[in-house]
Amino acid sequence: MSQVKEPKKKKMSLERRHNLTGWAFLTPATLMIAVMSFWPMIQAFILSLQTGKANNLSFGNPLANYVRMFRDNVFMTSLTNTFLYLIIQVPIMLVLALILASMLNNKDLRCKGLFRTAIFLPCATSLVSYAIIFRSLFSVDGFINTVLVNLGILHTGYNFLGHATSAKIIIIVALVWRWTGYNMVFYLSGLQNIEYSVYEAAKIDGASPMQTFFKITVPLLKPTILLTAIMSTNGTLQLFDESVNLTRGGPANATITMSHYIYNMSFKYVPTFGYAAAMSFLIFILVAILAFVQMKVGDKRD
Amino acid sequence: MKRKILSALLCVAMSATMLVGCGGDSKEPTDDTKTEGTDDAAAGDDAAAGDDAAAGDDAAAGDDAAGDDAAAGGNKLTVWCWDPAFNIFSMEEAGKVYQKDHADFNVEVVETPWEDVQTKLTTAATSGDLSTLPDIILMQDNAFQKNVISYPDAFVDLTDSGIDFKQFGEAKTAYSVVEGKNYGVPFDNGAVIAAYRTDVLEQAGFKIDDFTDITWDEYLEKGKTVLEKTGKPLLSCQAGESDVIMMMMQSCGASLFDDQGNPALVGNAALKKVMETYAALKEAGVLVEVNDWDQYISTMTTETVAGTINGCWIMASIKTAEDQSGKWAITNMPSLVGVDNATNYSNNGGSSWAITANCQNVDLAKDFLKSTFAGSVELYENIISCGALATYLPAGESDVYAQGDDFFGGDAVSAKIVEFAGKTPSNNTGVFYYEARDAVATAMQNIVGGASVDDELQLAQETIESQMQ
Repeated sequence: MSQVKEPKKKKMSLERRHNLTGWAFLTPATLMIAVMSFWPMIQAFILSLQTGKANNLSFGNPLANYVRMFRDNVFMTSLTNTFLYLIIQVPIMLVLALILASMLNNKDLRCKGLFRTAIFLPCATSLVSYAIIFRSLFSVDGFINTVLVNLGILHTGYNFLGHATSAKIIIIVALVWRWTGYNMVFYLSGLQNIEYSVYEAAKIDGASPMQTFFKITVPLLKPTILLTAIMSTNGTLQLFDESVNLTRGGPANATITMSHYIYNMSFKYVPTFGYAAAMSFLIFILVAILAFVQMKVGDKRD
Repeated sequence: MKRKILSALLCVAMSATMLVGCGGDSKEPTDDTKTEGTDDAAAGDDAAAGDDAAAGDDAAAGDDAAGDDAAAGGNKLTVWCWDPAFNIFSMEEAGKVYQKDHADFNVEVVETPWEDVQTKLTTAATSGDLSTLPDIILMQDNAFQKNVISYPDAFVDLTDSGIDFKQFGEAKTAYSVVEGKNYGVPFDNGAVIAAYRTDVLEQAGFKIDDFTDITWDEYLEKGKTVLEKTGKPLLSCQAGESDVIMMMMQSCGASLFDDQGNPALVGNAALKKVMETYAALKEAGVLVEVNDWDQYISTMTTETVAGTINGCWIMASIKTAEDQSGKWAITNMPSLVGVDNATNYSNNGGSSWAITANCQNVDLAKDFLKSTFAGSVELYENIISCGALATYLPAGESDVYAQGDDFFGGDAVSAKIVEFAGKTPSNNTGVFYYEARDAVATAMQNIVGGASVDDELQLAQETIESQMQ
C-alpha cells in the first residue's frame, strides 16, 4: 500500500488507481472509528491515571486507581458477581441456543417461522422494560408467587429479590430469557451454510441424531460458536441494566455488577471519574484477555 | 404449501406489530442473514453500557433547552424539575404570580427526572461547558452539599440577593448553605409524619393518641399487638434504601459524619441504637420490607399495612386511595430510646431551588425567586392543593393552613406539619451522603440477615472511607 504516499503522478497504473479508490472508501469509516472510539479510549486511559474528586483531578501516583480497586470491597463484590453471571449464564444460554437452533432447523417442522420469531422476540424488548417486568413478576405479591401459593407449593410469597442467592438466580434467568433467541439466530444462520447432503450422508451411514449433532453440527458451527461466546462474554462483563433496574444491586450488593458500580461512582456519589475510568479499563482488559483465550482455544485454523 | 404461506403471513403480522426487523420466512436462508444484520445493530446499542447512552441523550436534550433559552432573550427563565403534579405545578403557579407585575415574563419548565438532573449537571460541570444547563434547577436537599462543593462555579451565590433566609425553617435552610453562603431557596417541606389507619388501630384497641409522642419501644410493643389482632404490620419500607434509618438519625440530630466531614459510623451510639431498633422491628414483623417504590405505595393503597412513616409529601400518595378517606390520621413519629437529644420530629426529602451559573439574567432569576418562593404567601396558598407545604414560615400563618382535611378525619394537617417542621433538629448530611446511605443500607441488610451490628458498622465505615478517596 505504499503507493498512497505518492498520489500526484500523472499516469497512475490501474492497480494503483484501484488501491486509491479502496482507501478513499475506507478513510471516512476509519476516521470516524478513530475519532469516536479510539480517541475517547486514549482519553479515558489518561483519565484513569488521575486521582481526585469532581474537577479537581491531578496526576499523583499513576497506578493509585488500579491499586485502589483491589482494596475496594464493593468493587471486588461486583467483580465476583459479574464473573458468577458469566460462568453460569453464558454456557447455559449458548447450549440452549444451539439446541433450539438445531431443532428449528429441521426441514419438516411446521410453523418454523412462528417459533423462530417467538424465541427471538424477547431480544426486541427494551432492556429497561423487561427488567422492570421481571421485577414485578418476582415481587412478593407478584405473578410467580401468586401461582406458587395457589398451587400450594408455598404458604406465603417468597421475597425472591430480597435474598442474595435467589436474586442472582433471577438475574441469570432474565438474561437467559432475553439473549437466548439472539444467539439462536446466529446459529440458525450458521446452520444454513452446512450442506444438507452432509446430514443425508450421515443418515445413510446410520448416524444417530445425537451423533449427527456432535460430529457434524457442532464442529461445522465452530466459528459461529466462537463469535457468540466472545460477544456474550463481552456483553456480560458490561452488564448494567439488569443490575440497576431489576435488583438495584441489592440485597446488600449481592447482585451489583461492575458497570453499575462504575455508574454509581461517576454519577450517584461524589464524582470520581479517574477511578471510574480505571475500573472501566479493567473491564476492557478482562474482555480482551477472555476473547484472546477463546480465540486460542476455539479457532484451530492456521 | 398453504401452511407455509399461512405461517409466513402470521409471522409477518407478528413482526410488523412488534416492530421487529426479523422476517418469518422460513424458505430463504438469506432471510436469516438479514435478521442477523439488524440484530447486530440492536446489540451495538445495548452493549454501549447504559450510562454512556444516557449521557449522550442528556447532552442532546440539554442543548435544546439552552438553545431555546438563548433565543428567548431576557424575559424568560428555563427551569428543570420533575413532578408534574407537584413541583412543576408549583413552578408554573409561581410564574403566574410573577406575571402579574411583569407582564412579559415567561417561565419554561422542562420536565426532567431528578436522576437526569444529576447526570446532566455532572456532565456539564465536569466538561466545563455549562451552556447546557437551564437558569434554575430544583435540587434534592441531600445532594446540595455534594454538588455545590464539587462544582462551586456552577451555582450562583444568593447570600446578598435580598432574599430573607431567616423566614425559612432553620433546619431546612441549612441544606443549601455551603461555607456560610446561601446557594438555594428552600422549597418543599419534608417534615416527617407518621400516618396511621385509625380503623385498623381501633380493631386492636388503640386510638391515634396512643401513637402520639411515643418511643420506638412503645411502637414495637403496640405494633406487635396490632399485628396479632389484625394481621397488619405498622410500617413498610423499601429494602436497600435507608430512609427509615436516616429519619431516625435526624430525629436526634445525629449524623453519619462528624463536624470535619469524616465518616463516624463506628462508636456512633445513635446509629447503633437505630440499627438495633430497625432490626427488632423487622424481626417482630412490625416492619415489612418490599423491593421497590411501587410496592411500597401499594402496601398502603391495598391496605396491607396499618400505617407508614415518611416525609409529609407521602400524603399525596396516601390520598390516591380515595376509598380510604377519613380512615387515616397523622401524628408525629416515635422517638429513640436512650439517645441524647431524641425528639419525635425529623425530616425526609425535600428540595430547594438553585440558580445555575449559566443563567444569562441572574438579576431576573433572583428577583423571581425572591418575590415568589421567598416572598409570596399567595403562591403557597395556591399550591397547597398539591400538597406542597411551605418551609416559608409566614405562609404557615395563613388561614388556608388552618383548614381541616376530610381525608385525615377533618384534622388541620397542614398546620400540624408546619409545626413539626419547626421542631425538627437540623443535621449534617455531609458531602458523601449517598456513599454513606448506601453503605448503611448494605450493613442493615446484613444485620437483618444475622450479622453483628459492630462488625457491619466497621465494614460500612471502611467502605465509605475507601469511596471518599
